[in-house]
Amino acid sequence: MAQGPKSAAAQQSFEDVALQHLKALYGFALKLTGNAATAEDLVQETYLKALQAFPSLRQPERGKAWLFQILSRLVIDRHRSPSREVAVESPEDLDRFSLYDLIWEEDPFPYSDHLHDDFLAQFRDEEVRGALLALPEIYRVPLVLLYAEELSYKELAEVLGCPIGTVMSRLHRGRKILEHELWECAKRRGLVKTWKA
Amino acid sequence: MESVKRMSCEEAVRQFYAYLDRALAGEPHDALEDHLKACLECCEKLEFSRKLDAFVRGRLWDTPLPEGIEQKIRRTLCG
Repeated sequence: MAQGPKSAAAQQSFEDVALQHLKALYGFALKLTGNAATAEDLVQETYLKALQAFPSLRQPERGKAWLFQILSRLVIDRHRSPSREVAVESPEDLDRFSLYDLIWEEDPFPYSDHLHDDFLAQFRDEEVRGALLALPEIYRVPLVLLYAEELSYKELAEVLGCPIGTVMSRLHRGRKILEHELWECAKRRGLVKTWKA
Repeated sequence: MESVKRMSCEEAVRQFYAYLDRALAGEPHDALEDHLKACLECCEKLEFSRKLDAFVRGRLWDTPLPEGIEQKIRRTLCG
């Protein structure tokens, strides 16, 4: 919501607090979206939203976490869609999914002494990134925050506005979806047979 | 007297990522470490989870800030 014109001093104060985090914020947006133009739009939108909410920021030293929070919620809220949630498998099956076991059973490199390492080495960077992008945002956002910003579960809970238990289950399930996506990618590439659904 | 039930492999595997993220503490942490001391297969699975995490982490997009983006944002903020 627009809150009327900002004074030059307030505008300057906002820019001092917020723009120092531009590089980190853009990096986060790019890792989340995989597209430079989309990331730039997302960052612009985040700053506009942040400017409106700036009067409510009580601890300017928490500006970075605050900006990450705004961007994260923009992404999650925009893509909140039940159909994507069930796109993979039932949650229980998904939580038990094991890429390790499937590689072991399928044994794509029968003469390898490092079967699992050799399996991972087959993937191109863009395939791994594609697998990450296949994650619903509700799982991708915490996972990227963890990987890129190395936030603790407590910090993630603050950014995402949810309990630590929810963070823990989303990070677990997010990685399981990622394992599943890599397996699907390996099947498409013909690295493994496709007898298993 | 054995009053604490040993953690099963399935329960152990469910805790791996929290363990790798150093988010496991207290009894669940100790129970998982006890399990790992006695289960070679789970140790190998944990090691794979660790490698997979590092593998994905190392492949995230990383490019320099686009030229002119700061000026563009400053202009947008001025409305």
